[in-house]
Amino acid sequence: MSHQEEKVKIISEEFVENEDEEAEKLKKMKVQKQRRKKQMQDSSPEEQLEGAANLGFQQEQQPDGSEPNLLNTTVRKGPRNLPPLPSTSRTGFAEFSMRERMREKLKAARSKAESALLQEIPSPKPRSFVSLKEEGTGFDEEPGKNVLKEPQEEDSQRSARVKFRDSGRKPKFKPQVPPGFPSAEEAYNFFTFNFDPEPEKDETKDKSGEESNQEVEEGEEEEEEEKPRQEEQGEEELTNEKEADAFLLDLDQTAPDFLAIRAAEYESIHAIQHKEKEILFRPSSVTVPIYKKIPENMQPRYLEDEGLYTGERPMVPRTNQNIMENRLLIQEQERKWFGDDGRILALPNPIKQFSTRPPIFSREEVIEAGLETLYKKALNYVPNKQYIVGSGDSLGQFQLDIDISGLIFTHHPCFSREHVLAVKLAQLYDQYLARRQRNQTKFLTDKLNALRNAVQTLPDSTKPPGSGHTTRESVNKYKFEIRQTRRLRDAEEEKDRTLLKTIIKVWKEMKSLRDFQKFTNTPVKLFLRKEEVDWKIDEKAFEAEIQTETNELFEEHEEEYEKKMEAYRAEYQDWKAWRKAQRIKKKKKKTTEEQDEVTEETEHGEEPVKPTPPVPIDRSTIEQQVRERALHNRRKPGEPILVPELSLAGNVTPTELCPRAEILRREDVRKRSIFLKVLFNNKEVSRTVSRQIGMDFRVHFGQIFNLQIHNWPESLILQVYETAGYGSTNLLAEVFLPIPETTVFTGKASIEEVEFSSNQHVALDHEGVGSGEPFSFEADGSNKMILMTSGRVSNSVAWAVGENGVPLIPPASQRSLGIRRKVDAIASIGASSLTDMKKLAKWAAESKLDPNDPNNASLMQLITVATSGDTYVPEFFRLEQLQQEFNFASDEELNRSKRFRLLYLRALEVPEFRNFKQVPIYDREIMEKVFQDYEKRIRDRGVIETKNHLDVHRARVAKYLQQVRESVINRFLIAKRHLLLSDLVVEEDVPNISILGASLFKLAEQKRPLKPRRKGRKKVPAQNLSDGDIKLLVNILRAYDIPVRKPSSSKLQQTSRSLRPFSETFVTSPSMQSPAHTVDTVLSQVLVRPFVEVSFQRTVCHTTTAEGPNPSWNEELELPFRAPNSDYSTASMQSVKDDIFINIFDEVLYDILEDDRERGSGIHTRIERHWLGSVRIPFSTLYFQGRIDGTFKIDIPPVLLGYSKEKNLISERDFDSVRSLSDGTYITLFMTIEPHLVPGESVREKMTDMLKKFDSQEDEKLLQATEKFQVECAQKFPKRQCLTTVTDLSGKTIFITRYLKPLNPPQELLDMHPNNPQATAELVARYVALIPFLPDSVSFTETCDLWSTSDQFLELLAGDEEEHAVLLCNYFLSLGKKAWLMMGTAIPEGPTAYVLTWERSQYLIWNPCSGRFYGQFDTFCPLKSVGCLISSDNIWFNIQQHDSPMRINFDVTKPKLWKSFFSRNLPYPGLSSVQPGELVYQCTDKAAASELQDRIEKILKEKIMEWRPRHITRWNRYCTSTLRHFLPLLEKNQGKDVEDDHRAELLRQLGDYRFSGFPIHMAFSEVKPLIEAVYSTGVHNIDISNVEFALAVYVHAYPKNVLSVWIYVASLVRNK
Amino acid sequence: MATANPTVFLVMVNGQVESAQFPEFDDLYCKYCFVYGQDWAPTSGLEEGISQITSKSADVQHNLVWNFPIDITFKSTNPFGWPQIVISVYGPDVFGNDVVRGYGAVHVPFTPGRHKRTIPMFVPESTSKLQKLTSWFMGRRPEYTDPKLIAQGEGREVTLFQLSTHNYSISRLWAFSLAVFSAWNTLLHPTIKLAGSLKFQLKSYLLQSF
Repeated sequence: MSHQEEKVKIISEEFVENEDEEAEKLKKMKVQKQRRKKQMQDSSPEEQLEGAANLGFQQEQQPDGSEPNLLNTTVRKGPRNLPPLPSTSRTGFAEFSMRERMREKLKAARSKAESALLQEIPSPKPRSFVSLKEEGTGFDEEPGKNVLKEPQEEDSQRSARVKFRDSGRKPKFKPQVPPGFPSAEEAYNFFTFNFDPEPEKDETKDKSGEESNQEVEEGEEEEEEEKPRQEEQGEEELTNEKEADAFLLDLDQTAPDFLAIRAAEYESIHAIQHKEKEILFRPSSVTVPIYKKIPENMQPRYLEDEGLYTGERPMVPRTNQNIMENRLLIQEQERKWFGDDGRILALPNPIKQFSTRPPIFSREEVIEAGLETLYKKALNYVPNKQYIVGSGDSLGQFQLDIDISGLIFTHHPCFSREHVLAVKLAQLYDQYLARRQRNQTKFLTDKLNALRNAVQTLPDSTKPPGSGHTTRESVNKYKFEIRQTRRLRDAEEEKDRTLLKTIIKVWKEMKSLRDFQKFTNTPVKLFLRKEEVDWKIDEKAFEAEIQTETNELFEEHEEEYEKKMEAYRAEYQDWKAWRKAQRIKKKKKKTTEEQDEVTEETEHGEEPVKPTPPVPIDRSTIEQQVRERALHNRRKPGEPILVPELSLAGNVTPTELCPRAEILRREDVRKRSIFLKVLFNNKEVSRTVSRQIGMDFRVHFGQIFNLQIHNWPESLILQVYETAGYGSTNLLAEVFLPIPETTVFTGKASIEEVEFSSNQHVALDHEGVGSGEPFSFEADGSNKMILMTSGRVSNSVAWAVGENGVPLIPPASQRSLGIRRKVDAIASIGASSLTDMKKLAKWAAESKLDPNDPNNASLMQLITVATSGDTYVPEFFRLEQLQQEFNFASDEELNRSKRFRLLYLRALEVPEFRNFKQVPIYDREIMEKVFQDYEKRIRDRGVIETKNHLDVHRARVAKYLQQVRESVINRFLIAKRHLLLSDLVVEEDVPNISILGASLFKLAEQKRPLKPRRKGRKKVPAQNLSDGDIKLLVNILRAYDIPVRKPSSSKLQQTSRSLRPFSETFVTSPSMQSPAHTVDTVLSQVLVRPFVEVSFQRTVCHTTTAEGPNPSWNEELELPFRAPNSDYSTASMQSVKDDIFINIFDEVLYDILEDDRERGSGIHTRIERHWLGSVRIPFSTLYFQGRIDGTFKIDIPPVLLGYSKEKNLISERDFDSVRSLSDGTYITLFMTIEPHLVPGESVREKMTDMLKKFDSQEDEKLLQATEKFQVECAQKFPKRQCLTTVTDLSGKTIFITRYLKPLNPPQELLDMHPNNPQATAELVARYVALIPFLPDSVSFTETCDLWSTSDQFLELLAGDEEEHAVLLCNYFLSLGKKAWLMMGTAIPEGPTAYVLTWERSQYLIWNPCSGRFYGQFDTFCPLKSVGCLISSDNIWFNIQQHDSPMRINFDVTKPKLWKSFFSRNLPYPGLSSVQPGELVYQCTDKAAASELQDRIEKILKEKIMEWRPRHITRWNRYCTSTLRHFLPLLEKNQGKDVEDDHRAELLRQLGDYRFSGFPIHMAFSEVKPLIEAVYSTGVHNIDISNVEFALAVYVHAYPKNVLSVWIYVASLVRNK
Repeated sequence: MATANPTVFLVMVNGQVESAQFPEFDDLYCKYCFVYGQDWAPTSGLEEGISQITSKSADVQHNLVWNFPIDITFKSTNPFGWPQIVISVYGPDVFGNDVVRGYGAVHVPFTPGRHKRTIPMFVPESTSKLQKLTSWFMGRRPEYTDPKLIAQGEGREVTLFQLSTHNYSISRLWAFSLAVFSAWNTLLHPTIKLAGSLKFQLKSYLLQSF
């Protein structure tokens, strides 16, 4: 085994078994190395021996394995000190180690850590570990660690290296560690050793000075070693490296180990040059002669000259071309790089004429100027001026110069015959000139020649087939082209010749005409110049031409003949074969029968005719044909070339010498004059002077019109007018001028002639031929012709150039600059016909567009595509034509997807789906019924449903309300999202003095005050709430003046033996603290045991029972709140329509002990509860108020059987009477919602603000004044309500006083009490109160207050306080009262509107929703504060210290107390009212009312039975009918003063029944509130077995469908 | 409504609020909560949490390390409304009042695997200098009414509006305040066969994001 092999092995062993052993091994190696070095110095053979020794040594070590440190060091050393390794050796090494590793892997199971090391080591480029490691082991990484990593790495590496050396050199340091176990230090190294390769830094350092550095380090460590050893070590390093190099290079080690020194080799510069010459080639820049570049015996051919398109070559300097050509000629002998013209083949220049990339601004200077954003004021766009071009300053800057030089008639009525001919001649001559200029014949002849040459120069087709094929093809192509060209040339030649002939003919005609009429009118003269030609040359050329042509034709015919022959032969063969077959058949037939032959032959009717061989073409005949044609078309040889020349040198016969007809004609011509009008965009802008028509029918104007325009020119028209004598001018013709290109400027524009013609018929009595009239040149009048007036206007139109050289072109036109190339097409056929592909193609064909020109490529492609017809050109324009590609699915598919629909509807916030959670992934998981409700609703939108609404009108109203709501919601949709900072961020206000003072005062406050006051709570946004989170807290404090049981009931009791009111017997037991109670017991032995029951959303809570008519409960009840659909958003909370019912019951205990004997031992009582009254508070009020705190009047039924008021002072009902405190029953309570919810108040306000800004028809000044007024008021008294403008149903802002206007109440009401104004007023108030109450917040979710006018209100039959108040106020005004609308706060409504009236030295406050009225000093008046008063012509804001109605002065004339809106500064402008002039009342259909009555009764009965599921519900018919009779009476008396009569009557009729019942009175809106009201009384709760019920409903109809509903519900128990 | 057990996919989030860098403050604690769309519902784990108070580490970086674990599983039928974690950090000010030190939100990583997110934190700014002063005195700094607001789109335009017209900024960015949230996120599909409805899903996703 050689030395290298051993090294390789060392390298290939990677695993650490034991660091100790490895250290040992290293030590040994070092010894080895040292030894070897010595040996190397001595001799090489010795080394061989040593190698053998090493082998044994190595084998001993092998099973131990080696360690990575060794490998690392060696590898590391390699790149550090040596030049980069050759790649070959490296791969070899890698392969080897790989194999070895694999074997190792298989051999022994290694620990996981080791295998990790294994993976890390073998990568040939260890540096890439860095990234690998970061990715792979990034788990424990901290952001900061990276910073520390590098130094650590370096450290660890260095220390490791040092350690390694240490361990290698000084084994004495580690003997104490037992073998097989790593020392602590090593273990540390093992775990912390970073297998990262040295960072770059390290390397560079190494390169610069690390070498010596390390040396020093080592030297320090090995201080005990002597100096020579140090030197030796240095050397050792060197050799070590060399060795490494050697084994890496896989080279024989011995040779390079020894250095041989000799002198540097030198080569003379000449020698080098000489050598270079052999290798290098320097092409000369001399022009290469053309013959070298093209094949031999060839003439250079210039395609361009032949009329073929060759693109523009890219610019290459001549010298470079020469060099390249020379190089090509030398390098490759084939001349494939050279074209026919001897130049190098090149593609057309790819560089575009103008740059397509926008210019780039350099960063430093131009950025400010070019990219700076400039802000300009927005300009009003005037849409009706659609042609306007520029804006602002550039107006009128554009100028169009129209130069009208003159006019020539090509026909005029006054033309004489000679004129006609002259014009014809002139036209023909012009045509001739044009033809000659184009010289198509010459061009085609040249082309023909070139083609012929090309055919000749083409190599013969006998060449090898590879190239021969293409050449033959091209020959064929050429031949074809030759034929085409020849045909064209022949046609052109023929045309030329015929033209010449016609000219001569016309000239001859003219001459004869002049001779005939003996005078000349025109100076036209035609000369024919003869050009003599050399006859011989001509003859030769002619002959040659004929020969070639004949040859070609002959060839052609030959080919054709060949083809025909071929065909003939094939046919002939067929025919022959057929004949043969026929013959054979015949033979057969002959043997059979002969008659058959006839049939046979008939059968083979289609017997092929024997083909006739084609006639071979005779050359002479062809030649004959060619000659004939040539003679006909071409100039004969030797014939002089005729060149016609037209001149106007002739003399015109003077007028005197002419015949009379001619003189007349000439006079007529002289009388006529012509002028032109210039019409720009169909408007006359200028006209030329009127000029006489000259004898030559030419009119010269020579006028230039400068049109200053600022509209984009749409059309330019010249109108030609002719005036005959002093007669009328008549319009001859209109000439449409093309609008010039933007590149056409004055000075550059050429004079163009535009033809015109008119269709007028003119017949003249003189020599003139007229117009549109037939005339003839012949004497016999044959050969008639009709000519129309026509002519040409020579003009030029161009854009003017301004003084500074700027063209005055509208900018709109500059857009088309980019497509200037195509403008040609547009200009010639019109932009509109660009869409017509056929036209475009035609034009392209006519204009001989070069299809090879890349400039036309797009156009050509378009044409080919369009004309070929295989592409489908859609008839529509698609804006995003690629959208189709990006669609996931078709729209139908999307619409069909239920999931998508669900998501879509949810995103639209459709109520049914707004809170839809977890839209399923799959369509199949979505049930069809999800959409059913929604679809039904959509379907029913237009249909009025009467099922839920008992009467049609209300259903319609509900529908209407729904529609109004939808439209209003749409209006506010944007505003809803409009959040304020305060909605998002909680921020403390800047404390002012009062807050600071309060907080200071707080310090001195008692910790636990004796009378705690309620503190404000933190508001909770209703976002993250769920069911059960919200509770309703009701604190019932006390009640006043509860009706007490009447002593008369005790009379009834006497009839029964055992049933006595329980309270009677135990009356002494309750506490005696209430004086009223004691008084009661003492006085009448009758008492009431009231308790309060609060029901909300069918949850019922009740207090304990208190005693006496003025009980005190002081109890807190807690009711849960459920939002509809579990939607706790503000919107849904606001639309909660539920009411809170607070009912007061009397608890009556009945002793039902049957046996008196048991009385001592047991109590057997039954509890009955009698409804006394209720308070109903809508939840929305509570929600918006946050809390309700106060004393409320309890609604007590007008008839409460068995109960009476303690003190009956309500005898006189008059406005004057000061009413006692005890009028009515009152309850004090406190209600709130827990947690404190934030109502959407701010949103509402915001929207009001927004509305004011958007829509109003009020005067701007007035609106400003209102704003100012409100701000001023809010500054003084921020809590007082101040209302100036309101929003009407259509969302417009309207000044509030417009709502107030005297309006007539229904006549029916007025007629009822004609003499009693008070009664009338009350009746009117009652009528208004009967209109159902519907808060705006409920009807218009989340929107602001909308005020409807009184007629709208009556139509809708629903509204909130404002509408009621406005209507009531208007009624009062019409009744002649002084009435104001009073804005303020009341309980429980909160901010509300009341009506204030002045009645005989007293102010009355009317609650429009209940119809009740209060005196100003009524303690129980629900109105607690007054903000402002509104009359029909002013607004007064309360600026008094107090705002309680009791403490303020209502005298609005005092400016110190009331701040008025309209004053001397701002007088009342006389605003018209928004109310209608008169209210029209329809009488309600009585039948419908009674029908409704029946239905309600039926429904309620069903409901009561439903509520008593476990008991039989018996209906007492007799009682019901009694009650039914009684109810109209109640209505008539409005529930007053009937109690006693009623009671008496009832007693009489239902003698032996214990009766408990009461009438409920409500305004009718829907059935549901009625049901709720009946339910809340709890009548159905009686569960005595023999109970009977009575229920009667009465609906009283007031005008306008206002319905008053009375429900009498009672329970009867038969007394035993 | 839909079938009793609609197909859902589950997103399991394990992670922790690791650490924060608030160079100015010390003794902070954080709250986290999740904001997610209508089609999402947590099935297990805690939706909200409040961490311990941590002090600055003694090393150079002064990290505030919480290592506060988060473990929650969501089920959903729609990628729209992908859950976001909202982290708000609180701590005492000079007077010992608890004030907010930063809000930040980030989406739960969309791809399964281990992720680390660094969230820049910010606090709303007082509307005026005076208010800033008083709020500093009284220890009532401006706070969001609900930390979840910062993960929602609504109201952003208000802040912009406020910025542009009134010339004060509502949100000040603490560029140097960072809370690190790292999470293991595992997406569990009940069926892999989502491809069919995925295109609708994506479309609707696009639609809803408008």
